[in-house]
Amino acid sequence: MKTDEKKENKENLEKEENSCCAPDNGRRDFLKTAGVTTAAALTGAGALLSGSDEAEAKFHWAEWFQKNYRLMTDEEKEAAVTRLEKRYSEEYDKNVTVDRTEAKDGVLFGYALNIQKCIGCRRCVKACVTENNQSRENTQIEWIRVIRMEKGEFSQEFMDQGSPQISGKHGIQSGGHRHKQAGVVLEGQHYYEPEKVPEKDAFYFPMQCMQCENPPCVKVCPVRTTYRDPDGIVVIDYNWCIGCRMCIGACPYWARRFNWGEPNLPKEEMNPKTHYMGNRPRMKGVVEKCTFCVQRTRKGRYTACVEVCPVGARKFGNLLDPNSEVRKILDKKRVFRLKAELETYPKFFYFMD
Amino acid sequence: MKFSNNTYRSFFVLCAAILAFFVIGKADAACFECRENYTSVEQVEVSDELFNVKCSSKTGGVLWWGDPFYGTVPMGDMPENIEADYLSEPAVVKPRVDYEEGTSDHLGYFPCSNCHGVFVPTPRSSKDRKINAHQDVVENSLELKHGRGAIWCLECHNAKKRDYLTSHRGDLISFNQTQKLCGKCHGQIYRDWRDGIHGKRIGYWDKGAKKRWWTCTECHNPHDVEPAFKALVPESAPHLPRGMDNADHERLHVDHSGLSHGDVTDGEPTTASHGEAATDTTAESGAH
Repeated sequence: MKTDEKKENKENLEKEENSCCAPDNGRRDFLKTAGVTTAAALTGAGALLSGSDEAEAKFHWAEWFQKNYRLMTDEEKEAAVTRLEKRYSEEYDKNVTVDRTEAKDGVLFGYALNIQKCIGCRRCVKACVTENNQSRENTQIEWIRVIRMEKGEFSQEFMDQGSPQISGKHGIQSGGHRHKQAGVVLEGQHYYEPEKVPEKDAFYFPMQCMQCENPPCVKVCPVRTTYRDPDGIVVIDYNWCIGCRMCIGACPYWARRFNWGEPNLPKEEMNPKTHYMGNRPRMKGVVEKCTFCVQRTRKGRYTACVEVCPVGARKFGNLLDPNSEVRKILDKKRVFRLKAELETYPKFFYFMD
Repeated sequence: MKFSNNTYRSFFVLCAAILAFFVIGKADAACFECRENYTSVEQVEVSDELFNVKCSSKTGGVLWWGDPFYGTVPMGDMPENIEADYLSEPAVVKPRVDYEEGTSDHLGYFPCSNCHGVFVPTPRSSKDRKINAHQDVVENSLELKHGRGAIWCLECHNAKKRDYLTSHRGDLISFNQTQKLCGKCHGQIYRDWRDGIHGKRIGYWDKGAKKRWWTCTECHNPHDVEPAFKALVPESAPHLPRGMDNADHERLHVDHSGLSHGDVTDGEPTTASHGEAATDTTAESGAH
């Protein structure tokens, strides 16, 4: 049944795709024909071929003209993946695999994070970078951000520092403790660097892609390169991304990152086990974000951040399985979603003991 | 510019040397899992180009798990009357004490029975008293904090068989299965741990799939119980956006009057004058 549904969706998509651009030819078809026939495109191809060695240019040429991943046939997908494997293996001097495992039936991924336990050590951030082949520097990209929040400072000495200054006994309009942060989430500190964590006067709040059930980023994507897969992961086909960054504007959780420059990924640090939708090396001008380590989780492994958390604050599992760790947390603990009022319905839950 | 063959050769030798150093250096690397100086794991190349772990060059902690089951053994049986996941799941743990080899990755003098029961007699009285021994293994052994001083060594360590822990009935409990002991008092946390809500597991997320479980003492120090988790050095902060010199904007919150609130805590003159003004006013109104 599910496959039928998928087929139907695909057909619908194809129809829409065709109807939106040209009545007879799809946009891609048009581009293809144009690419082969027009002189301008031929010079373009010439430039591509002359700039680098022939094999590489071939890859680029084919990649440039591949379809939206969801509209590809199985053979086209396989061809695309093989092409990438070859290119990456040459580029990074190791045996790179590009996986394309699809979502499994009966699985809906969910995540839970114990904010009471988090100590703000940022190991999840670095584990994510190690696993997911983010650009290391210039510009550095990190999918997880940990926000430090102060516990607040309340004391008698601030009582008479309100505004207006001269109050007498008639009260002060804004009290002396205004601007004393306590539990402020979105104005928290990103660049904290104490000697050791946790600090006495702070607590920490990690944020990443929430894999919303109602994802605003998907709705705004003009080329539908980002979409929600059946297992609940919001993925991006980097090859189809035009870099308009609408999704970055739409995401209320600051989860998406843009490759402003050519990503800087050292060969020896590159993780060769990749997924087409996940941690394969990205290019300049595309958007990326957390995919719940799709290359791991679709093969059964925990995400890299779950495994590395030294305090065990991060939990991951199947929301459809009543015995899974996440479901047990939803049953037993006090849980909340960040910015629930936006009706994005994140599948990333925060909880406390 | 032309290089002679010799130049090339020496260049390659140098490269090979650097590479060899790099590889050997990597193989020898060890990092800690949760407790510094206690739960360490050696970096090993488990298969072609795949390491069991990657370590942080800044903090020395594990940064990435390649092989989650490296060096683990089956968790072993549990009392039959306890219904738990690990009876049906292939649950594994990393043994901290190897009873067959008589070694341990953190206890300096394991097996303890080498001295206790041979040179050191079994105590006749189990009454608690201060013990000077093993301050190297047990930090602050003179000021045990567990149970706020209400319990002492032989409440948990078996008096006669020192290689084991003990239940309140005197049953032997392995150092590798501390949950059997800790769970006797900390029941709520024990239940959460069994459900996978408390504590840490790595491996495969699915129910019934293989997981490595962390036991109590792999994260907590049972002697020096405060704080529950010892502070760590954090990984480095994200790079500042281009053109931003520092992150002061996060810390200093600017008032509408233009007064920086960092100044208030620093005791700048402006603050003092405000303070004085306020005091004066109070004094005046009091006088009237």
